[in-house]
Amino acid sequence: MASILTTNQAPGRDAARRPARPARRGWRLHYSRRIQLWGASFVLPTLLFFAVFKYGPMIWAVELSFTSYDMVSPPRSLGLENFENLATDPIFRESLFNTIVYIAGSTVLITLVGLGLALAINTAVPGARYCMSAMFLTNLMPILAVCLVWRFLLHPYGLMNQLLEPFGIDRVDWLTDSRTAMPAIIFVTVWRFAPYFMVVFLAGLLAIPDDYYEAAQLDGANAARRFWHVTLPLLAPMIFFVIVVSALLSARIFLMPYIITGGGPGNATRVLSMLIYETGFSYMKMGRAAAISVVLFTIMMVFTFLQMRIFMSREQV
Amino acid sequence: MRYGQKGSLRRLWAQSRRWLGFIALLALTFAFIFPILWMTSTSFQAGEKMFQLTTEWIPSVWHPENYPNAWSRANFSQYFVNSAIVSIAVMAGNIVFCTLAGYGLAKFRFPGDRFVLLAILSTLMLPLEVTLVPTFLVIHQFGWINTYQGIIGPLLIDAFGVFLMRQSILAIPTDYIEAARIDGAGELRILWQIIVPQCLPALAVLAIFSFRDSWDQFLWPLTVVSLDQYRTYNLGLVQFGEDYGNPPTEQMAIAVLATIPVFVLFWILQRSVNKGFGLSGLK
Amino acid sequence: MTKKSAGSTNRKVTRRTLVQGMGAAGLGAALGAPLSRRAFAQAKAPIKLSFWTFENPQQRPWVHKRVKLFMEQNPHVTVDFQWFTFGDLGKKISVGFATGTAPDGFVSQDWFMPTWMDKGLLAPLDVQRLGYSSFDAFTGDFASAFVKGATKEGKVYGYPLWFYGFCNYINTKQFKEVGLDPDKDWPKDWKQFGEVAKRLTIRDGSKFTRQGFKFAMHAAQWTMIQFNPILITHGGQWFDASGKCSVNNAAGVKAMTARASIAKQYGAEDPADSIATNPLPQMDWLKERCSMFWCHPIPLAAIKSQNEKMLGEGYFRPVQYPGVESGKGISTTYGFNLVVNARAPKEKQEALQDLYKFIMSDLVDCWKDTAPFTLARKSGWTDNPVVKDFPHVAEVIAAKDRGVFLPRTVVYAELADAMHRGVQKIMLTNGDIKATLDEVAAEVDRASAAYKKG
Repeated sequence: MASILTTNQAPGRDAARRPARPARRGWRLHYSRRIQLWGASFVLPTLLFFAVFKYGPMIWAVELSFTSYDMVSPPRSLGLENFENLATDPIFRESLFNTIVYIAGSTVLITLVGLGLALAINTAVPGARYCMSAMFLTNLMPILAVCLVWRFLLHPYGLMNQLLEPFGIDRVDWLTDSRTAMPAIIFVTVWRFAPYFMVVFLAGLLAIPDDYYEAAQLDGANAARRFWHVTLPLLAPMIFFVIVVSALLSARIFLMPYIITGGGPGNATRVLSMLIYETGFSYMKMGRAAAISVVLFTIMMVFTFLQMRIFMSREQV
Repeated sequence: MRYGQKGSLRRLWAQSRRWLGFIALLALTFAFIFPILWMTSTSFQAGEKMFQLTTEWIPSVWHPENYPNAWSRANFSQYFVNSAIVSIAVMAGNIVFCTLAGYGLAKFRFPGDRFVLLAILSTLMLPLEVTLVPTFLVIHQFGWINTYQGIIGPLLIDAFGVFLMRQSILAIPTDYIEAARIDGAGELRILWQIIVPQCLPALAVLAIFSFRDSWDQFLWPLTVVSLDQYRTYNLGLVQFGEDYGNPPTEQMAIAVLATIPVFVLFWILQRSVNKGFGLSGLK
Repeated sequence: MTKKSAGSTNRKVTRRTLVQGMGAAGLGAALGAPLSRRAFAQAKAPIKLSFWTFENPQQRPWVHKRVKLFMEQNPHVTVDFQWFTFGDLGKKISVGFATGTAPDGFVSQDWFMPTWMDKGLLAPLDVQRLGYSSFDAFTGDFASAFVKGATKEGKVYGYPLWFYGFCNYINTKQFKEVGLDPDKDWPKDWKQFGEVAKRLTIRDGSKFTRQGFKFAMHAAQWTMIQFNPILITHGGQWFDASGKCSVNNAAGVKAMTARASIAKQYGAEDPADSIATNPLPQMDWLKERCSMFWCHPIPLAAIKSQNEKMLGEGYFRPVQYPGVESGKGISTTYGFNLVVNARAPKEKQEALQDLYKFIMSDLVDCWKDTAPFTLARKSGWTDNPVVKDFPHVAEVIAAKDRGVFLPRTVVYAELADAMHRGVQKIMLTNGDIKATLDEVAAEVDRASAAYKKG
C-alpha cells in the first residue's frame, strides 16, 4: 500500500510505486488513515455545498424538464413533451442559434484579442505595465455599468457613430439593426473579457525562458517564425485553457443581451439564459424552463469535450 | 557605409520604434478605457446632454449635484449595504472553503480524490444560469427567498477558486509539510502557518475576483429578491433607469459610485495580484 | 360599559339618591366611554399588512399618503408598502404567488385580472364592507366596461381605482410653426395623421432633429397599449370566437400597415431612436423632440418638471386619436383595481377592505394629487369644480369614455411579448408584416394551448 507521505505526484501513479520498506502496521496505518481523513474533511464542506447547490439542482432540473410546473399546483408529468415543443418553437431555435453564434464568436475573438494585447504589452515599450493595469480596469468595472455605458455609446446618435462619422460611415443603428445587434453584443463582450485573458497570456509569455528565443534567433529565425515555432507551442496549454474558460463564460452570459438590447430586435440577440429566465419567471413555466436549461448544459458539455478532444489529439501529434 | 553610421542609424530606428510603439500602445489603451472616462465625464453633465449630437468630453457646466440627487431618488444606501454584505460574505466564503478544498486536493491522497477533483471542476459547467430554476426552488424550500442567506447561498463557493488554490498549493514543496508533521504539528496548524502564508498571492487573486463576481451578480438577486430592503445596487440601478423622470446622467453617477469599491480593492491588493498572476517579471 | 348600580339592596331609594345615582351613572358613562374605547382599541390585535403597487411619480405617492393616513387613524394596523416598475409588477406578483410570498393586498393592473381570477388567487370582496348596499349598487357605480374585469359570477374581486384613456398630446407651438392650426388641423384620420406628422418632422441628413410623431418602443406594455386601438378601429380583433389569435387576419395587417406607415411611408418617425433611450417614454415629447405623442393623461407636475416653459405658456393640448373614419378615433383604456390575496388570513382581508374603503373615500383629494388620471368610479368626484377646472379635462374624460379595452386574456404576458417582438421585427428589421403577424399569432396560440393543458 503506498504511503500517504510520498512526495507530490500525480494521483494514480502512487499505485505503481512500491514503498521502500514494508509499511509498518499499527501506528503508521492509523496515522496515515488520520491524514486521509483530514484531507477528506477539508474537501467535504465544498463537496456538500456543490451537492446542495449544483448537483442536486441539476438532477432536479432534469426531473422538472419532464413535467409541467407553475409552482401553484404540483408538477404534472409530460414525458418528452417539453422537448418536442421546444424543437418546433421558432423562438427556442432562434435563441439556440444565437447562443451558439455568440459562444463561437466571443470565444475566438477573446482569445485572439487577448493574445494580441499580451504580445503588445510584452514588448519593451516604456509604460507597458501601466497600460496593462489600465486595460485591466475595464475587466473590473461592474458589468452592469459596462452594459449601461455601451447602450448609450451605441445609440444611433451616440459616441460610436460620432467617432465613425469623419470616416464617411453614415449612422449605424448598432442595437436595432438585426445584422449588427449580435456583433455589437459580441464586441462589448470582447471589450470586457479580453483584458483578463491578456493578463493570463502575459503570465504565460513571461514564463517562457529567454534562452529559447535566443537560440531561435541564433538559428536565424525572424520575429514571425520565432512566434510560430517557439511562442505558440509553449503557449498552447494556456490557449486551450483560455478557449475553454471563455467558452464557458460566453455560454452563461445573461446581462449583456438583457440590458443592452433586451433580446431584440425581435429575437436577434435572445440567448438561452434569457429564455430560461423569461420562461420560468415571466410565464411561470418551470418545467419548460428546466428543459431549456438541460439543453444549455448539454451545449456547454459538448463544447468542453470537443475542446478536450482537439487539445488531446494535438498533444499526441 | 561606415560601421558607426550604420550603428547609430539602427539605434535611432530602434528608439523611434520604441516611441512609436509607445504611442500605439497608448492609443490601444485609450481605446479600451475611453468608456470609463466617458462614464465619469457624463456623470457630471446635465440630463439633456446625454442625447446631443456631439459629445462634450469635458463638461462646460459641471453638475456634481447629480450624485446626491441620484442617491436620494432611491434607497441606494440600503442597496449598497446589501451588496457589500453579500460580496464580503461570498469573498470570505470563497477564501475559506476554496483554500481548504484546494489544499485537500493538492496535498492529500484519499480514496476517490481524483473523482472528487473532476466532480468539483465539472461544476464549472453548472453555473447559476443553467441551474436557475431548481436553485430557486431549493432556496424557496429553505425559506430563504428575500433574505441575505438566500442571495449569498448559491454564490458561496466557486469551483474556479478551488482550482486556483489547488494549483497554487501544488507548488508548495511537500517536504515542508512532512517536516512539520514529523515535528508533531497538527494539520490545522500546518494549514495556517505553512500553507496560507505561501499562497497569499493566489488568495489575493481569489479575493478580488470573488468579490468582483458577486458585486456583479444580477440574475440571481433579480430572481430571489422582491422586497426593497434586500435589493442589491444592481437591481436598484436598473430600476432607477426605468423609473420615470430620472436623468440618464444620474444613472451614470450611480454607476461611477458602484465602480469605486472594486477599483479600491484592486488597488489595495494590486501587488499581490500581480504576483499571483505571475507578472512580477514584467518590466 | 359597566352600569354602576344606583343602589344596593337595603339602601332606601329616595328621589335624591335616584337622581344622584343617575348622575353618577351618567358621569361614569361619559368618563368610561372614551376610556373603554381606547382600551378596546389597545386590545385589538396588531395587524401587519403587505401592500404592493406600481411606480408612478404622482399615483404612487398619493396611494402611499392615503395608506399612511389610514395607519394614523388605525394604530393597530401597519402596512409594509412596496412598489415596482410598471412593467415589472405583474411578474413580481406571479412569482410571489408561486412562492407564497405574494403581498396580502396589491394594485392589480387590469389586464392581469383574468390570470389571477382564473387561478383563484384573489379573494372576493364584501361590497357592504366597502360601503355599498348590494352587488348591483357596486357595479352601478362604475361604467360596465371597467367593472366587468373585476366581477365574476355575482362576486366582486377588485375595487377599480384608476381607469383612463390615452390621448394624442400635441405641441401646439410646433403646429403653428409649420403653418397648421392646432385647434382645427389636428389629425382626425390616418391619412391626415401621417401627413401632419410628416410636415412637423425636421431632419438633418440621417438624423432626426424632430420627429413628427413617436411610438414608444421600449416595453411590451406600451406596444400593446398603442396597437390595441389601431387594431380595433381597423375592424380587427385579438382573438376570434374560437379563441384563436386573429391579429394576423386582413384587418390586422391593415392595422399594422397603418401603424408602420408613420415611419416607413411618411418618414416622420425614427424607430431606432425610440428604443433603449428615455425610460420615460413621453420625455421626447416633453423635451420637444417630437410633436405628437400618444400618452396616458399627463399630470401638470410632470410637464413642469421637464419643461416649465411648455406648462407656463400652455402650448400643448390632448386631442383624440385618429380613426379610420375622420373623427371616429377611439383610444385605448386600461386601469387598476385594488385587490386582496385569497390566501391572506381573514383579519388581514378585512383590514385591507377597510383600507381600500378609506383610500377611495376622498377621490377629490386623489384628483388634486394625480390629475388628470381619471378615476373609475362615477360618484364622488366628477361634479367637483376642481375637476371641471382642469385644463382640457373634457378631452381626457372623453377618451376614457370612448376607449377600448386592452384584451383581457389569461395569456396576456405571452401576447404582449409576442407583439412586442413582432413590432420590433417589422419596424427595425423590415420584416414582412403578414409573415411577422403570422408568427405572432402562432406564438400566442401555442401559449394558449399550453395554458389549457395546465
